[in-house]
Amino acid sequence: MSPVFPMLTVLTMFYYMCLRRRARIATRGEIMNSHRTIESNSRASPLNAEVVQYAKEVVDFSSHYGSENSMSYTMWNLAGVPNVFPSSGDFTQTAVFRTYGTWWDQCPSASVPFKRTPPNFQSQDYVELAFEQQVYPTAVHVLETYHPGAVIRILACSANPYSPSPPAEVRWEILWSEKPTKVNASQARQFKPCIKQINFPTNLIRLEVNSSLLDYYTELDAVVLHGVKDKPLLSLKTSLIDMNDLDEDDYEEKDGCGMDNLNKKFSSIALREGPSNGYFDKLPYELIQLILNHLTLPDLCRLAQTCKLLNQHCCDPLQYIHLNLQPYWAKLNDTSLEFLQARCTLVQWLNLSWTGNRGFISVAGFSRFLKVCGSELVRLELSCSHFLNETCLEIISEMCPNLQDLNLSSCDKLPPQAFNHIAKLCGLKRLILYRTKVEQTGLLSILNFCSELQHLSLGSCVMIEDYDVIASVIGAKCKKLRTLDLWRCKNITENGIAELASGCPLLEELDLGWCPTLQSSTGCFAKLARQLPNLQKLFLTANRSVCDTDIEELACNCTRLRQLDILGTRMVSPASLRKLLESCKDLSLLDVSFCSQIDNRAVLELNVSFPKVFIKKSFTQ
Amino acid sequence: MFSVLSYGRLVARAVLGGLSQTDPRAGGGSGSGGGDYGLVTAGCGFGKDFRKGLLKKGACYGDDACFVARHRSADVLGVADGVGGWRDYGVDPSQFSGTLMRTCERLVKEGRFVPSNPIGILTTSYCELLQNKVPLLGSSTACIVVLDRTSHRLHTANLGDSGFLVVRGGEVVHRSDEQQHYFNTPFQLSIAPPEAEGVVLSDSPDAADSTSFDVQLGDIILTATDGLFDNMPDYMILQELKKLKNSNYESIQQTARSIAEQAHELAYDPNYMSPFAQFACDNGLNVRGGKPDDITVLLSIVAEYTD
Repeated sequence: MSPVFPMLTVLTMFYYMCLRRRARIATRGEIMNSHRTIESNSRASPLNAEVVQYAKEVVDFSSHYGSENSMSYTMWNLAGVPNVFPSSGDFTQTAVFRTYGTWWDQCPSASVPFKRTPPNFQSQDYVELAFEQQVYPTAVHVLETYHPGAVIRILACSANPYSPSPPAEVRWEILWSEKPTKVNASQARQFKPCIKQINFPTNLIRLEVNSSLLDYYTELDAVVLHGVKDKPLLSLKTSLIDMNDLDEDDYEEKDGCGMDNLNKKFSSIALREGPSNGYFDKLPYELIQLILNHLTLPDLCRLAQTCKLLNQHCCDPLQYIHLNLQPYWAKLNDTSLEFLQARCTLVQWLNLSWTGNRGFISVAGFSRFLKVCGSELVRLELSCSHFLNETCLEIISEMCPNLQDLNLSSCDKLPPQAFNHIAKLCGLKRLILYRTKVEQTGLLSILNFCSELQHLSLGSCVMIEDYDVIASVIGAKCKKLRTLDLWRCKNITENGIAELASGCPLLEELDLGWCPTLQSSTGCFAKLARQLPNLQKLFLTANRSVCDTDIEELACNCTRLRQLDILGTRMVSPASLRKLLESCKDLSLLDVSFCSQIDNRAVLELNVSFPKVFIKKSFTQ
Repeated sequence: MFSVLSYGRLVARAVLGGLSQTDPRAGGGSGSGGGDYGLVTAGCGFGKDFRKGLLKKGACYGDDACFVARHRSADVLGVADGVGGWRDYGVDPSQFSGTLMRTCERLVKEGRFVPSNPIGILTTSYCELLQNKVPLLGSSTACIVVLDRTSHRLHTANLGDSGFLVVRGGEVVHRSDEQQHYFNTPFQLSIAPPEAEGVVLSDSPDAADSTSFDVQLGDIILTATDGLFDNMPDYMILQELKKLKNSNYESIQQTARSIAEQAHELAYDPNYMSPFAQFACDNGLNVRGGKPDDITVLLSIVAEYTD
């Protein structure tokens, strides 16, 4: 028996060691599988492993090229792993915004920009991405696969979109921001801007883009978020970045809270007559007002705190006739609106696009504001304002009788019945309903009552059942219509187009992109050309039936044409395009992408003869 | 001494083995036994022009295309047979079938499908083809097979003359039906140029045949284009499948290759009475020999799902 015991002991020791080793390997395997945790040598310490994540979900965006519920050219492609990178080209599996360049600012439906827009706010579109894990970001990489260079700002949010309870305080911090710059190559690139460190973990990243310098649509494939789980020690490098960032931008952010608090303090203190204001006393009132016109809104609020005279000037409602609050979407909340209320009684143009999301503005706050400030309102921009509900639209229709311009672009959470209230705004001249859920009956009542309409956008309105009926009502009721956006209106046919063309001869702009049910063989495009001599912009994107006859009719009848898109047709030849270019001297944009008869050589030849025209030919490679 | 040690080892193993027997998935899934099912799939094919297994983007054999995709909830595979007649009009027939299969694969990977609705996969994929800026032209048949992991059911959709066989215990227990308008003209999804609309045969995805049935572990599913079924009768296919020993990927790959190779040889045998020739004879056409065609074979076995 005696030799057995030492052997047993040895055996059990051996077994115990094997078990422990196996357990350790198993744990390591687990970490390796989840979210590609990488032991990074460079910045993070071994205890603070770097986490690399692709976006889990796209939670919000302002526009996209593709169709709702599709996975071609839609914003949802930005989530997940890249599909195309590092290839360059025009691929369906990428995320594409609706516009590019300055073409949409040059067409008849372009709206006048607001005054007092700070020069460092140039964002035109945005997309918000949610990631699985909250991390302190160390890098954000954007994989761009076509015409890169659109991203101009990256922000991080402290709120977790996946937490069941609403967060107490939501903060947005700018990680990186720069003016739009021209990128020379149109090749794919991995954009790696140098971001600043923030002191809260985030899993919600927002990209803001400006495509005005781009030659064609930019396409994004994926966004990669690098971060660490534990708060990193602030290194010397990052404090340098902070110093560089301490410009107008940074100051502005801090002001959000300061502005309200100081205003509150100031308004409650009774000021005694102080010493004279020097030369300011000699200047006429209107001149000081004129000087103040050049200040941005935060500066105006800061100036109001300096002295009684300037306070009087800065609180003068005449300074707030055009109020652009879109650049301050990250800070604007009910309190801000409440303090601006007193000064905004005469406001005529109000831009609240992008504001109020994630609980910043409540329905009650918005209603209060409009009750005070709505009577003179002529133009109201509410693009991507997801706090809106039916009550808000009711308040708008009641409080803003003079409203002529209403933009509800991408307010896709608004219920269909909310749109019924718009019919009460009989003076409406411009109505943007791009990507909303407006239904047939709601739209018909709007068209019946708003006969002053000059600009109407129904792009990607998927809940409309029969666009032929809509078109015929437009033709019957909206005689003053100048621009009409029917992008992706799935079932409009030649009948609708005929009634539209005969009823609205003043039409200067018509977007019929991706309307597959229009067939050139019915002669609808030829009739269109003959009946709309004032056409300046015509988009027949992806209508595969556009042919030489249609181009020739356009050449004959629509000599004022400036922008034409005939992407994807096989039946247009270079000869008819030449006739068009000769006849339409103002033509500046011609998109012949994926037109099989128009190859690169034909484009070059046309460019030689007509150098002022931008002929676009996209490609997939 | 030895007996004590070996006895101790046995006891230890038994105890440890017993501890790990508490299966947490004991309650999972209806049908035969607990646990999720998965498909172990291997594919092989030959293009008609002797392009042996030439893989273009994705998996294309001549004008045929196929895909295999995994999702959390299901394993999906599909084949599509591009209609060769488009070549006469300057259209590459493999573009349509290839894009259709790649789009189906993407749909599955992104979870934009319902496992019990394979026709939905076809319909959505077809609509996505129309959303492409590139003006796609062409037509193809399609056969989609979906294995729902937890319910252990196989859902299929078949449009045209491609199809599938389910083999259990050496016998065919399920098969798809061919859909033909007339001889050598199967049902097909198509995108025609606008001037030819109405002239070109175009069937709606809803016209596909859809079936659903339970499967068991060890069931063999063979999905293929008509290049296989027109050249190899069932008994030959079953003979090859008998050689499949286990559910390793390598052995499935080997069997798939041998089936495809055999069909490819028979296709070019001028004296062989192929099923295609038999069918032609039954319809009054006196022909013999195989049918040279693109051959695509996807061979799957239902096995326990491992991540």
